[in-house]
Amino acid sequence: MPDSQLMPDSQPVPDSQPTVPDRRAATVEFEHVTKVYGAESTSNPGAVNDLSLRVPAGKICVLVGPSGCGKTTSLKLVNRLVEPSAGRILIDDVDIATSDPTQLRRGIGYVIQSTGLFPHQTVGLNVAVVPRLLGWSAARQRERADELLALVGLDPVRYRDRYPSQLSGGERQRVGVARALAADPPLMLMDEPFGAVDPIVRERLQNEFLRLQEELAKTILFVTHDIDEAIKLGDLVAIMATGGQLAQFGPPADILANPASAFVARFVGADRGLKRLSLVRVRDLPLVDAVMARPGDPVAEQRSRARGESSGYLLLVDDDRRPIGWVDLRDGDPRAAGGATLTIEMAHPMSPLLEPEMTAKDALSQLLDADVQMGIVVDRNGRVSGLITVDTIAGLTRADTGDGPSR
Amino acid sequence: MNGKPLIDWAWVGGHLDDIAMRTVQHLQIALIAIVVGFVISFVLSLWAVRYRRAFAPITGVAGVLYTIPSLALFAALVPITRLSLLTAEIPLVLYSLLILIRNIVAGFDAVPSDVVEAADGMGFSRTGRLWRIELPLAIPLIVAGLRLASVSTIGLVTIAALLGDKFGGLGVFITDGLQTFFPTKVYVGAVLSVGLALVVDLTFVLLQRRLTPWSRAQDAPTGREQHGPSGLAGA
Amino acid sequence: MELLRATAGWLLDPGHWVGPDGIPTRLEQHVVICVVSLLVAAAIALPIGTFIGHTGRGAFAAVNLANIGRAVPSYAVMVMVLPPALSLSPKYGLDVIPIFTAMTLLAIPPILVNTFAGLRQVDPDLVEAGRGMGMRERQLLLRLELPLALPVVLGGVRTAAVQVVATATLGAELGGGGLGRYIVDGIARQEDDRLLAGVFLVAVLALATEAAFALAARVLTSAGVRRTARVELDAAH
Repeated sequence: MPDSQLMPDSQPVPDSQPTVPDRRAATVEFEHVTKVYGAESTSNPGAVNDLSLRVPAGKICVLVGPSGCGKTTSLKLVNRLVEPSAGRILIDDVDIATSDPTQLRRGIGYVIQSTGLFPHQTVGLNVAVVPRLLGWSAARQRERADELLALVGLDPVRYRDRYPSQLSGGERQRVGVARALAADPPLMLMDEPFGAVDPIVRERLQNEFLRLQEELAKTILFVTHDIDEAIKLGDLVAIMATGGQLAQFGPPADILANPASAFVARFVGADRGLKRLSLVRVRDLPLVDAVMARPGDPVAEQRSRARGESSGYLLLVDDDRRPIGWVDLRDGDPRAAGGATLTIEMAHPMSPLLEPEMTAKDALSQLLDADVQMGIVVDRNGRVSGLITVDTIAGLTRADTGDGPSR
Repeated sequence: MNGKPLIDWAWVGGHLDDIAMRTVQHLQIALIAIVVGFVISFVLSLWAVRYRRAFAPITGVAGVLYTIPSLALFAALVPITRLSLLTAEIPLVLYSLLILIRNIVAGFDAVPSDVVEAADGMGFSRTGRLWRIELPLAIPLIVAGLRLASVSTIGLVTIAALLGDKFGGLGVFITDGLQTFFPTKVYVGAVLSVGLALVVDLTFVLLQRRLTPWSRAQDAPTGREQHGPSGLAGA
Repeated sequence: MELLRATAGWLLDPGHWVGPDGIPTRLEQHVVICVVSLLVAAAIALPIGTFIGHTGRGAFAAVNLANIGRAVPSYAVMVMVLPPALSLSPKYGLDVIPIFTAMTLLAIPPILVNTFAGLRQVDPDLVEAGRGMGMRERQLLLRLELPLALPVVLGGVRTAAVQVVATATLGAELGGGGLGRYIVDGIARQEDDRLLAGVFLVAVLALATEAAFALAARVLTSAGVRRTARVELDAAH
């Protein structure tokens, strides 16, 4: 199960004849784009109403909203699977209406929820669809397919000759992403690419997607109906309302802090305070200094130090400042009774160890699970950098939500 | 045959009785075959649905029967059954089996497995589930099979006329017309035979609408009927 | 039993394997009628079926026309074609043109309807994915839709072929050749061994046709699609 496999750290095999064009990311701009469907349309796709937004190069813009809000239509307007009724769309300041749709599409990566993998072609051929359309040599197509499979964490030797029906849902999604990346497009359109997999696989794919994006820095338009996914993945989030109206557009933190309307506030949910926690990393939070002691320190001396502490606890660490556990030197703790010096045996089990990269949401959840007030933040080498309290994190959720919906 | 008008309406006017008799006979022979063929096919299909291993042998035999030329099968039965109604009915029934069995089984297979599970979960007995859940949901494909089988059966009745005029229905006009070089009879026989097939086909369409009111909403606007042919074509 | 032995004897009689009424000659005539009418039917039905399947245009008319076509008795077609065919070509009007026309008309509906249905059942998401990646309409058709529709299309051709092989015996009613000759002559001369030998030969030819198409479908269908089909079949049980 390669789903459990981490993304390879190494960069893709460098290509002697670079397949990578100079421009790596494109800007996308919607200018007053409207799409109206006639009454005869049976499938009733969502309409789009006067949509204007600009996605800077290299950013992930997530379009999110209830079904029928026109988010998928907006995406298809960009590769001209749908033509606008009014307005225009610019890619790198060029109106896409002026370019040949087929050529345009070959330069844009496209990933859909059902993956759209061709069932009669092997994984290798599927990944190389666009290179083949572009007329690359067979050898170069194969090389590129292998390179991309490795990039998305699938061993090319094991996977290139399989058929899509032989893959798990998560594997298919990876192949779908690899296929969209094949011609190294400066722009990717992704329509609920992780919608069809279970929550555990989805979370793993999301994390890998973010890591991949750090490496590739594409411009990505991403459609989802899941506000949590939008907040997690988006540099920018566009919330759309039924009828194809853009309800709010901006960085997720701004949207959570200041929902522009009652609709947005309702859509992001009553727990938007909590949601904001996924935007903050532990490293961004103010730490409390820990009162530390080492095994062998005299108990009496440390006891007076601990009395000065509100908690009355000392953090026992080893010589490398790696945490061992808490010592309670207040009167009455049987573990600390007797003994003239501090020993490892006196230590109570530790609070959860928190890493700087963790989101505040995960940190809070770990502290609540362990039923403790305080977490120990350690650096990459496991050394204590400080303490963080539940109150500090909880304070974030209150910070500036008091002003509520501003309009 | 040349030089005469294509259709001699005077003959038609003078033989309305005869034409009506042959039309009714044609319909009778075909309907008997369809009803008998359906009963046999339904029983065999239930068996095949329940015991999957029976499916291949059943359709295999029905497939071999289907390859026997109709003319030959009619003729081969004459020494055995003489010129009785059985001589006409046996081949017609045998030919209907393959189409009907494939479609009935496909109909049951097409019942969504979650619906079957839900029925089990609510405590339906096996028989209750079959009659009240699976059968109604299989109706569209079963009717598609009946439509195909009846259209081809009505066409085949005309072949029976080659054995003699006793059980040929409208086909008698076609053979007579050929032997007497009288095209009017040929056209009357052919047109009415096709017309009969269309009427029966349409009746089944209306019947299905009555039987499955829930599927009307999702009827494809094209009215395509791909189940029948792909059922026939299925491996 | 007696009859079966007589039929086997008839088939094994070396005299029946030579000459203008010998089995090889009749078999060849039969195969020629079937192959030519199937090819003509395919040449008509495949492009039309592909067009309506790809565009969705004219589907209602084409499918219903094909269904009516199924209702037309082949024998009636032959008889109706006879007068114009005779005036067109006295040489072939009796025993070639009528059976050829009837068999072509017989083969068109299954090929047409299955081609259309095969293309329609291709997942629209796949077609949109292909279009979204920049495949042109022709490429969508040739690289995606037709390969995926192939099993169903071949199924239609197979149905048509088996029907044509069995029904082409009717040609003998108008004096044509082919294996139907034995059947018609057997009836006329009341030679049951000849009649049953004809039935046996036609059945064998039909089954061989069926087997050949099953094999072709297996060879021509991508392993990926075949696998899916099998998985779905298993899942249904």
